[in-house]
Amino acid sequence: MNRMEMHEATPEERKLFYKEEWNKREIPDFILHTLSLREFGFDLDGTGPKHRYNQFITVGQLEDFMRSRAPYSAFASVALYERPSAREGWLKSELTLDIDAKDLPLKTCGCPPGIVCERCIDEARRVAMEFAETLAGDLDLRNIYFVYSGRGFHIRVTDEAIMRLEQNERGQIVEYITGGLIPTDITMALGYSKIFRERVARTFSALDEEKLLTARGMRKSLARRLMMEKERALEAIRKGRLDELSSFEGMGAKTFGQLLEFLTRTNLGFTDGKVTIDTKRILRLPSSLHSGVSMKCILVRDIERFRLEDAIPKFVREGERR
Amino acid sequence: MFTPEYLAVLDPFAEEAKKIVETSPPVDAMPQEIIERATNRVKWSNKEMVVEPGPESIRAEVLSFYLMCQGIASASYPYSRETRLISDATRNTIRYRMYDLFKRGQEELCMKAVRRSIKLVELEGEDGTKLGEVEIPREDFYKLRDQELENDGIDIVDDRILPQYLPRYAVRWVDLAPLLRHRRVELTKLYLVKGWAVLTLRDLWDFYANFVSVRTEDYIQSVYERILESGAPSKVLAGVGGRISSLLPKEPEFRERFARVPSRRLRPEFFPPCINQALNGVGTGLRNYAMIMMLTPFLSYARIAPPPSATRMADFIKDISVVRDEIAPPIFEAAERCNPPLFKDQPQEKASIFYHMGFSMTTDPRLGDAGKSKWYRPPNCTKIQMSAPPLCNPDEFCRNIKNPLTYYFRKMSEHARGGKGE
Repeated sequence: MNRMEMHEATPEERKLFYKEEWNKREIPDFILHTLSLREFGFDLDGTGPKHRYNQFITVGQLEDFMRSRAPYSAFASVALYERPSAREGWLKSELTLDIDAKDLPLKTCGCPPGIVCERCIDEARRVAMEFAETLAGDLDLRNIYFVYSGRGFHIRVTDEAIMRLEQNERGQIVEYITGGLIPTDITMALGYSKIFRERVARTFSALDEEKLLTARGMRKSLARRLMMEKERALEAIRKGRLDELSSFEGMGAKTFGQLLEFLTRTNLGFTDGKVTIDTKRILRLPSSLHSGVSMKCILVRDIERFRLEDAIPKFVREGERR
Repeated sequence: MFTPEYLAVLDPFAEEAKKIVETSPPVDAMPQEIIERATNRVKWSNKEMVVEPGPESIRAEVLSFYLMCQGIASASYPYSRETRLISDATRNTIRYRMYDLFKRGQEELCMKAVRRSIKLVELEGEDGTKLGEVEIPREDFYKLRDQELENDGIDIVDDRILPQYLPRYAVRWVDLAPLLRHRRVELTKLYLVKGWAVLTLRDLWDFYANFVSVRTEDYIQSVYERILESGAPSKVLAGVGGRISSLLPKEPEFRERFARVPSRRLRPEFFPPCINQALNGVGTGLRNYAMIMMLTPFLSYARIAPPPSATRMADFIKDISVVRDEIAPPIFEAAERCNPPLFKDQPQEKASIFYHMGFSMTTDPRLGDAGKSKWYRPPNCTKIQMSAPPLCNPDEFCRNIKNPLTYYFRKMSEHARGGKGE
């Protein structure tokens, strides 16, 4: 798969983008409708989002700022405040999940950590879809939005039912969604047991022998056997018959426990839990430019039909044509 | 005969209980049997947890509960091991009462109490496995039952208890947020279907008892904050609290059983925003208040964690190095960070710091001098808002807090319970 040509936007390209391409109508409604209650942060020159504590009462003010300053990066808080310019009077926060393609714990494309290709992005998209399905299904949450961040996906949930949850509850949601804890009973047809089996199966299927060998206590011969008979192992996982894995030669109770722990820990790595529990986080503003990679951060209306081309700014497309 | 007033026995925060408290005698005139009951509650056996119907028994039950809580708030601090002890004892008591009442045919009364705190729906269908449109697989249904039986260590099942172990109700998982927050319930341990957590009656008693237990901790916090603001607690309350504290196992043993015991070392990562701001130094006009009235009492109380009835630091520490090496240095460093540095133009304030910790005006505190001046308590949030508004930038955790110290204790406790940091 092609490594993505991700060059850093020059100041001129940023200016061009904000002058000609950026459109306030691309800011999602869930942000527009609460614009004045959010803290905005900016990285003006590529040195980090140091320009914090900004409040815009109208979208016109934000527009003036974006066009005149052409920021390197623009962010808005997931939290709503009484006084966003002082980050005071916390009212509530979206529930967010950050699935960064460059940090996926397993990549079937072989990209090294920190590098992304279109396949990495697509894997991140699939993970985002799975997470959202659980949020909407088991947790019955509404108002779930996807944002392509430039190098991965953000899931942003504005369901009133969860906006006042604190760190501990949000942390538990991460565990649930990712399959980050071993359930009491792995065989139930519904509930967390099912989610866990699905996540473990996904992780296991993406493993190769080399990665599997990083699990504590895993011997080379067993890793090879598991990979050779991957489908049989996967079937056992999907059906909750994990004891069948014990029939693989060399899989003692201890190794089995260590393998399960390894898979669970890997599951947790598919999203950055720190982002979810941080109720005062600022996240990249949909509509803005991710200058580090010259990609647009955009609201994804149909995640199943997401096309990376939609996030490529005009100045990159025209540059390619030239 | 169980009257509606009996609900006060199942929920000490119910209106029925509040009415009893309104007619309570003053603490100093509390009958001895109530005082004894308050002290003994934490060591009750199952049999002692049961309250027979009757106005006098109900009254004794409610008054002794409040006396116990106020006693602990007087002799300890929020989220202390003493607080945890009575919070756990309250949970166990309520849970057993529900279990016992159900066995005695009082399901309706139990459900009346539960429905006040938890919004429920009943599973439907011929065999009670339908939740809205979703049919819970029968296999899961019985697995849930067997899990519960196993958790309670029940091998032989009789008809009186079995119904309590069958899934019968469902509750929205978000309504369990207070329990998730305190890690009394874990999301991954719930059986979730379309936003509903499927529960057995046994779960219900457990969750309900945990709700009461969490409210008990909140109540102790509010009493503690009131005492910090209003002065020393009554001798009766301090006496009851002291007696309950003495029932605790020795600390090392206790630490093994509970993960929530706050570390005695100062943990700056759990300080509230106002204290962090003061530690970073402040400008002229706020310096004295921030260093002397806020930081000094906060750091000394946070490090030593004495009861609000404390007057002398020497009663709680054996070595003055705690003051010299742990409490004073961050205050002095913060004073240096002030603009202008506090001691540059007001060198006498060095002695004032030790004065506010009870050592009189000195720059060389000794344990023997403890109690020569007043050991000041940390001001409540309302006082800080009035005296130093720029320092009060509350975060969401401040919402349920009235004193910076309770912020610290609570955050530390939640961290210990969650077993992880931010």
